[in-house]
Amino acid sequence: MTAARERASALTRLTLVQACEAVQRGEVTSVALTEAALDAFKAGDATINASIALDREEALETAWGLDKLRKAGRQLGPLHGVPLAHKDMYYRAGKPCTCGSKIRRAFRPAYTATAIKRLEDAGSITIGSLNMAEFAQNPTGHNAHFGNCHNPWHLDYCPGGSSSGSGAAVAARCIYGALGSDTGGSIRLPASMCGVTGIKGTQTRVSRYGAMPLSFSADNVGPLARTARDCARLLRTIGGHDPADPTSSTEPVGDYEAALDGDLRELRIGVPTNFFFDGADPEVQAAFEAAMKVLESRGARILRLAIPHMDAVNTYASIVSRVESATIHAQWMRERPQDYSIQLSGRLYAGYAIPAVHYVEALSRRGPILRALGSEVFGKVDVFATPTIRMKVPTLAATDIDAGAPGAIEAFGVISANTRAINYMGLPSVSIPCGFDSDGLPIGFQIQGRPFAEARVLKVADAFQQDTDWHKRVPVRPG
Amino acid sequence: MSTNIERQVEEQAKVWSGVAPPNAASGNFTRGLTEAIQGFERTRGQLGFEDEPSSFEAALQETKERTP
Repeated sequence: MTAARERASALTRLTLVQACEAVQRGEVTSVALTEAALDAFKAGDATINASIALDREEALETAWGLDKLRKAGRQLGPLHGVPLAHKDMYYRAGKPCTCGSKIRRAFRPAYTATAIKRLEDAGSITIGSLNMAEFAQNPTGHNAHFGNCHNPWHLDYCPGGSSSGSGAAVAARCIYGALGSDTGGSIRLPASMCGVTGIKGTQTRVSRYGAMPLSFSADNVGPLARTARDCARLLRTIGGHDPADPTSSTEPVGDYEAALDGDLRELRIGVPTNFFFDGADPEVQAAFEAAMKVLESRGARILRLAIPHMDAVNTYASIVSRVESATIHAQWMRERPQDYSIQLSGRLYAGYAIPAVHYVEALSRRGPILRALGSEVFGKVDVFATPTIRMKVPTLAATDIDAGAPGAIEAFGVISANTRAINYMGLPSVSIPCGFDSDGLPIGFQIQGRPFAEARVLKVADAFQQDTDWHKRVPVRPG
Repeated sequence: MSTNIERQVEEQAKVWSGVAPPNAASGNFTRGLTEAIQGFERTRGQLGFEDEPSSFEAALQETKERTP
């Protein structure tokens, strides 16, 4: 390896916060970071297929401008000079936004998503858009239109979806952080399968203005990055009320990084005795229990308890996004069903026959179920933890519905069972890596807190990462 | 049951939304609805219906993290 390549590789191995600090101290330029990221994509994309479009010229021009500003003593914000890339469903005025689909291949939105604007206002550089499941609707990373995204730990395996490119690009050290979206686990599933950190905030925590809609009751905007600290910085930047999205919460956004003190003494962590471990793979269970031991060693107490109404939650969660996405896609499903993948059109189709009374029932019971959770669970514990995914990471071939893989539809349900339930409850949830399975693929676990307890779940995740190195492991770049 | 539900879904989708079965795989997704139907059967009588339309947002506030 040449000295220049070694230098670039060292730069891409920095965490997002380390990269921000290095720019701030003048140890590295934004141009150098951006070039390193673009080169990493160039090297990695041939195998993992994580990006859809990169804009080298514009990214380097922006980086050059940010370097000039810094030299003049000005910093735009806490992300000054750091390159990011995002799931290709966040609108940027005048830029193509495919949503991972054939239908929107030529779509150029007229306005920019609030989350992107906030990240750029804080000094980050958007260098391109990332691969994703078609219209954000599969948990595996298959994409019939732009090619499957591949897991950087092993190319035969799923990277997780729907934010597949975000998970794979962060894991492969192509980029410091990326926006994903999470309606049933689409941030946490790729985070878990690729061995990175990903958080969805409380429902309504982040503005959805300019984000492709999938299911207005359960859609969340959030980041994937290497560490809980990175995610804390990104979530704080994008969180908070946005007049352009009246559904976004007015609840103040805390200083999530300031909460990362590693102190878990007296913290009560719940581990469910029902639902979340049903049919769980023994390797996943073992990694999860080992993670609980790490948290205990920091002074946390583990309490085993039942989570109420999980049968109902599982049932309701399975239909809400299905009905809402069927509604959103109705016109295209009538006029151009052939332009969808087999998997997605099949999934959408079933949504047209779910009775409205059951959809309303599912929505109307979110409140009572959350209240029951508040008293029966959060009255006893501060957070609860579960495996992010019950099964080991499956291969792309075994879960390829378009190719007719037997059992693939059922596997989709199992993959997202633990995450989807959390979206229904609206809770903040962070997934962090906690081991590897016997195939060499990452295992993750997720931590949930009360509504708007983002600081607390990030604190637990960060404390775990202070004592472990799962998040520091780097896949050997294929090829 | 499976053949029956496929027929029912086809009729509902056609009549209410003008959407036709897009491919053979859609039948597999349709058959998957039986699990949801069984789930709804099991939840009958477990929870009371709530009239408050903004109940979820209210519940987020009621159950949120309180800083000391």
